[in-house]
Amino acid sequence: MGLFKKIGSIFHDDWCRKCQTKMEEKKRQLYMLPMTVGHYSSHSDANYYKKNLIKVNKKADIPVGKYACGIIKYKCPKCGYKITKLSIFLPVREQEKYEDSIYFENGELDDFIRESERA
Amino acid sequence: MENKKIKKINFVYLLGYIFGPVILCAICFTLGMFICPDGGTMAVVLFMCPPLLSMVWWICAGRFLFKRKKKALEKELDEQGFSRNQTFYGDGCMVVIDTNKGNMALLFFWNPFEKQIFPVSRIEKAWVDDGRSGAGFLEGSSRVSFLFKVDGITVRVNTFTSNQRWRMDTDYILTGISKADMMVKVIEDAKKKVK
Repeated sequence: MGLFKKIGSIFHDDWCRKCQTKMEEKKRQLYMLPMTVGHYSSHSDANYYKKNLIKVNKKADIPVGKYACGIIKYKCPKCGYKITKLSIFLPVREQEKYEDSIYFENGELDDFIRESERA
Repeated sequence: MENKKIKKINFVYLLGYIFGPVILCAICFTLGMFICPDGGTMAVVLFMCPPLLSMVWWICAGRFLFKRKKKALEKELDEQGFSRNQTFYGDGCMVVIDTNKGNMALLFFWNPFEKQIFPVSRIEKAWVDDGRSGAGFLEGSSRVSFLFKVDGITVRVNTFTSNQRWRMDTDYILTGISKADMMVKVIEDAKKKVK
């Protein structure tokens, strides 16, 4: 059963990587990533996102041809494991073109999320 | 600033590009028949080289020339103080927009010797063609482009082309639509700024 759960967790972003329990969504916020369509480059450094992400309230606020970044903070109710997921996508009319998913496990973006919450 | 009409094709260049090598081949073949009717190295050169060179010319020369002219245009625009706020490199046309001054520069594949700069106020309308066709599960597109009308002449710039039809929700089509939407928005914003 443990093995099946571990395999299952690969396909579920919201499953705890340690105990494979379904995690709780603690925070969700949409941002604009100032990169133009066709010029996306992946960054794994949290500082890049701290410097460049611009908070928006809805997808319609993102200019045409710019990327969107959805940040979701998860916490495992069982073991307390925390993870922040960045989903980067290109909003195209009513659709979304998925680009990348980046994970931060050590709370690298926590202060940034707190600050943008206050703003 | 140029006030003359947009010219998408330079017919002298187009005809020269197509028939130039044909004429060269005809001349070389004729010379080959008269100069060396008995064969030899000269005959091989006259009969073999022109067709090979023609093939190379038709496949590479246009792209090579267009690439060089694009670079030259960018340099020239920078020297003129044209702010290249948005540049789109289409397969048949290069579009550069200066949103501050409200100017647009165009360079066409079939008219590479003429840079065409004009105010965006001359653009009557700009729109996106997603190339959607077919019904049901066959619905898709093989070309996405943005178009604009200048002095009654429609210019189409492709943001995506393919030799097969793709579903409308594929990454290729969505990227093409996004690029086209963005270019139309830039044109419209530049027009508003000028007004």
